[in-house]
Amino acid sequence: MKIRSFCLMVLFFIAVFFPLSSMETKISMELWNRYTTELNGSTVEESEFALKRGYLRLEPQFTDNIKGRFNIDLFSDDDGLDGAGLKLKYAYIDFSKIIIPEAKFTFGLMKNYFATIYDWDYTTIQKALEDKEKVIASTDYGMGIYGYIPNGFGEYSLQIINGEGYKKTGGDIDINPAFIGNLRIIPFAGFTIGGSAYYTKSGLLNKDELLDTTLNDTTTLSYAIVTKVAFGPFYIWGEYLSKNIDGDNAMGYMIMPVLQLGRIMPIDIDIIARYDSWDKNTESTSIDDSHQRITAGFNVNILRDAKNKPLLFLQTNWERTMYEDAAKDPKDIVMIQLRWKVSHKIK
Amino acid sequence: MKKTLIMLLALILGAGFIFSNDISITGSTTVFPIAQMTAEMYMEINPDINISVRGGGSGVGIAALMNGQTNIANASRPIKTKELKIARENGVDPFEIIIAMDGIAIIINPSNKIPNLTFEQLKNIYNGKIINWKELGGKSAPIVVISRDYSSGTFEVFKTLVLEGDKVRDDALLLASNKAVVTTVANTPGAIGYIGFGFLSDKVKAVSVGNVMPSEETVNNGTYKLARALYMYTNGKPKGEIKDYLDYVLSEQGQQIVEKVGYISLQ
Repeated sequence: MKIRSFCLMVLFFIAVFFPLSSMETKISMELWNRYTTELNGSTVEESEFALKRGYLRLEPQFTDNIKGRFNIDLFSDDDGLDGAGLKLKYAYIDFSKIIIPEAKFTFGLMKNYFATIYDWDYTTIQKALEDKEKVIASTDYGMGIYGYIPNGFGEYSLQIINGEGYKKTGGDIDINPAFIGNLRIIPFAGFTIGGSAYYTKSGLLNKDELLDTTLNDTTTLSYAIVTKVAFGPFYIWGEYLSKNIDGDNAMGYMIMPVLQLGRIMPIDIDIIARYDSWDKNTESTSIDDSHQRITAGFNVNILRDAKNKPLLFLQTNWERTMYEDAAKDPKDIVMIQLRWKVSHKIK
Repeated sequence: MKKTLIMLLALILGAGFIFSNDISITGSTTVFPIAQMTAEMYMEINPDINISVRGGGSGVGIAALMNGQTNIANASRPIKTKELKIARENGVDPFEIIIAMDGIAIIINPSNKIPNLTFEQLKNIYNGKIINWKELGGKSAPIVVISRDYSSGTFEVFKTLVLEGDKVRDDALLLASNKAVVTTVANTPGAIGYIGFGFLSDKVKAVSVGNVMPSEETVNNGTYKLARALYMYTNGKPKGEIKDYLDYVLSEQGQQIVEKVGYISLQ
């Protein structure tokens, strides 16, 4: 199943025509200016200022029940091409309150509702574990339903997607779709527990050959268990991840406690710690392929909007990655990042 | 060392309660007059208590409650499921208290002789299908549509009760407060707007909707359909000073203030 071409048409339609006729269109931009210094043992491997990430976003609202999002990712650093790189990140349209109350149908290049990746707000500069370890891409082409459980008891979603992620270009074609299911329950205020599952049986075809030339078939089953505990200014995320490709199992977990000082004193600073563990192949004892990552840092919220969302904030993170492979030295990274965003609604 | 750490953690987590004599109220501009006047009266009776009241809109108030930035969120609409979910995820358990009833009054410039509008006419004025007062039996003059901005709880209620999914016409003027709507309608001959009962004044003329004039009686007996409840939300069932203040708002004295500022009391 290949729906990317059709989704690209939808994207074009959204980007060019819909904002002109929408009820209102929100235009927003967010930029992440980052300084990174990377040490491998005592050797400096990287030291750069870069625009590590940015978004340019259009969100047209056509009616109360129909809205879209079109998002371009921007980046510019030493690793990339000269100038800036661009990636299409979101291009979807939502139809809400159709048949099922408090639910929306989404079509296009959209979020993958798996584990924490869909609401990861980069409290640490590092990505969500499932993103970092490539368990799943953050967005993909497809369609899905997303809804809320009544009375604030949680949320659910079901999606059918390409399974190749938004970065996929060219190469072999996967003819089979992927499926994601996600459920989060909040039995009482301050405690969230949930799980996600991702399944695909990919049939890769060589683009240059006839369509019946199947290169290989692999079955991927990933799942995640997620929990969050929040009390006053303190919250902690916990996550367990597993990815199985044709019997080869990868596994990891993440714990991230955050203390929001701004909620208890006039200092708008978040203090953050995080611990990641990832083993690429749990069955293999002969290969030292696991690693652990410790992160510590703080976010200084300089400006917030009327709804208390940060508009301008400074993030400082220190990361140490330690490898099971004794031949590899631990890697230390210090990142200082200024994130800022602007938005405007056009009626 | 372990004891010191535990004490430090307890101090940090408890710091929010140290200044419990301060109550902060944020949110709906419609509920603002009730909150402000009841707070003033309550502080007179209880001089040790300091209550700060801010506007911003229902959405802003509920967001502040979700983020632990306010003790009480004022809202002129019920909390949305999405907001409830985010709040609960953040350890906040919104507790709803209805503090008054309100009607949304449709107002026009006093020079306009139109006495009544139907729901259908109102909808068609706001979606742009009716653009001249002549189409409604008035003098030939373009209709200047005044609406509240999209973050307003009054807009949310108006949208649900009148627009039924239609969008407000593109050239409508979106204003951030009830007062601004009154001022603009008062100064613009062809204007139409909508406001909470509490903001009705001699500067503007209220029209009947479906041949029912907005009044306390018509809201209470259910004949005036453009009516709604007004809310205050707290994190969990209110306790201590917050409970005392809310008990005051719901008391006979508090409800008299509700009437005094132009809304409909629960008693």
